[in-house]
Amino acid sequence: MQNLKWLIGACIFCIALPSQAALQIFACEPEWASLSETLGGDKVKVYSATTAKQDVHRIQARPSLIAKMRRADLVVCTGAELETGWLPLLLQRASNRKVQPGQPGYFMAAEQVERLDIPHVVDRSMGDVHAGGNPHVHLDPHRVAEIARHLAERLAQIDSANAGFYQSRLADFEQHWQAAIESWQQKSEALKGLPVVVHHKDWRYLLDWLGMKEIATLEPKPGLPPNASHLARLKKQMEEQRAAMILRSAYQDNRPSEWLADKADIPAVELPYTVGGSDAANDLFGLFDDTLARMLKAIKQ
Amino acid sequence: MNWDGLDISILGPAFLAGLLVLSTHVPLGREVLRRGIIFLDLAVAQIAGLGVIIAYSFGWEAGGWQIQAIAMSAALLGAGLLYWCERRWAEVQEALIGCVFVLAASGGILALSANPHGGEALKELLAGQILWVSYGQLIPVSVVSAVVLALWFALRNKRHPLLFYGLFAVAVTSSVQLVGVYLVFASLIIPALAIRKLNTHDLWYGFIIGAVGYGAGLCLSALLDWPSGATIVWALAVSGILGSVLLSKR
Repeated sequence: MQNLKWLIGACIFCIALPSQAALQIFACEPEWASLSETLGGDKVKVYSATTAKQDVHRIQARPSLIAKMRRADLVVCTGAELETGWLPLLLQRASNRKVQPGQPGYFMAAEQVERLDIPHVVDRSMGDVHAGGNPHVHLDPHRVAEIARHLAERLAQIDSANAGFYQSRLADFEQHWQAAIESWQQKSEALKGLPVVVHHKDWRYLLDWLGMKEIATLEPKPGLPPNASHLARLKKQMEEQRAAMILRSAYQDNRPSEWLADKADIPAVELPYTVGGSDAANDLFGLFDDTLARMLKAIKQ
Repeated sequence: MNWDGLDISILGPAFLAGLLVLSTHVPLGREVLRRGIIFLDLAVAQIAGLGVIIAYSFGWEAGGWQIQAIAMSAALLGAGLLYWCERRWAEVQEALIGCVFVLAASGGILALSANPHGGEALKELLAGQILWVSYGQLIPVSVVSAVVLALWFALRNKRHPLLFYGLFAVAVTSSVQLVGVYLVFASLIIPALAIRKLNTHDLWYGFIIGAVGYGAGLCLSALLDWPSGATIVWALAVSGILGSVLLSKR
């Protein structure tokens, strides 16, 4: 009996130990998991609920999601209604008081920065329009820098013992990030002003940063799958106003963009969209390196 | 292996939801098998979904109980239509049910081309996810299940086919929102199939087979980090096969 008590005690100790040692972070998307790891280093343990190959608008419920959410000290998600289909349900089911909306443990990245395309009136007939504006903010490196500052602040607030550590990680990140932005901007001169067709409006911030023009979307309305008559219209539009390339992400259906690419003779480019979306995009730096490399390669052809 | 998810407060509500669904679906499933109309549930659920989409496309911004009322009415209307079909063309009833299913599903796509927000309503209705269920949601469903069961067994000696179609529409519409179409189909057909050779009093074996399937599926999905709904469907199938082997050896 005494032995059993010791054994149980040892087990509880082993289970409890790692959660004390590191701040538990639940990230909804790989880009925020990556940023959290960059800023938190070995002081945090990060779990990403989705991968780059998944459509974050909808995910399947797994018990581990609730378990991780229950143990989280900090939830880092995009917000602005991107995860509206599952995050509120998950928060409710996990009933972890630390990470409920309004608490310091609830960090919505897109809500830390200015968003584009906030509709004046949300009309149901417009399609899958987010009342909070376009949520895909992580593809603008300037906004990422701003989010990183807010996230480091939040980390310091929750885990004040390591506040200095997070600040110095942030300073380090900012220095490298600013240098990277300059080199990306130099490289991307050739892309400036180019017209593109996109699958879904998830490239809004990337195109805005690079000064490229979105002239059409493959989806007739956001969230509606491309249909035949819309694609035929696009083909006609391409005859008058030719796009330089057609963009899609790794998780989107490749058939509509390949169809238009074939009919209108425009290169279709699959971009990583987030960390893990291609082999080269293994962190936020790799994500932008690879995105630009793929677009530059497309216009050289 | 992932031991985190193996937690009664995570799996408990889902398991109870499964038991509630089984309570009505095992007896109704036997009737479905007896009549040979196994796709009735898909057709009824799809008609309920179509009703909601149409309400949306007329600009009715319904929420909560209004959606439920529309879905139930549409499902009951659909069930009434299918009962009428059975009376007129009993010999091709299964084929007609299949046609009604594809018509309702593709009718939904047509109605949605104008209004994708109806699509979210449809997804919520047809793709319920068992793991998101909370105890609070189970209360109205247990009331509905109790009423369905009471009517079904109270009238067992003078059951009119219309009673079956009506109760079936109500039971499926309420359960599909909790657990989704795949689990509704599996809960309806698999236990009933496993106990098809037993007499009516041995309904209990069907409940046990179903409960074992839900329990094992939920634990497996926690341990292996698999989506719960799909894991339970497979666990139900295994439990059904084992159950029918054991029952045949009795």
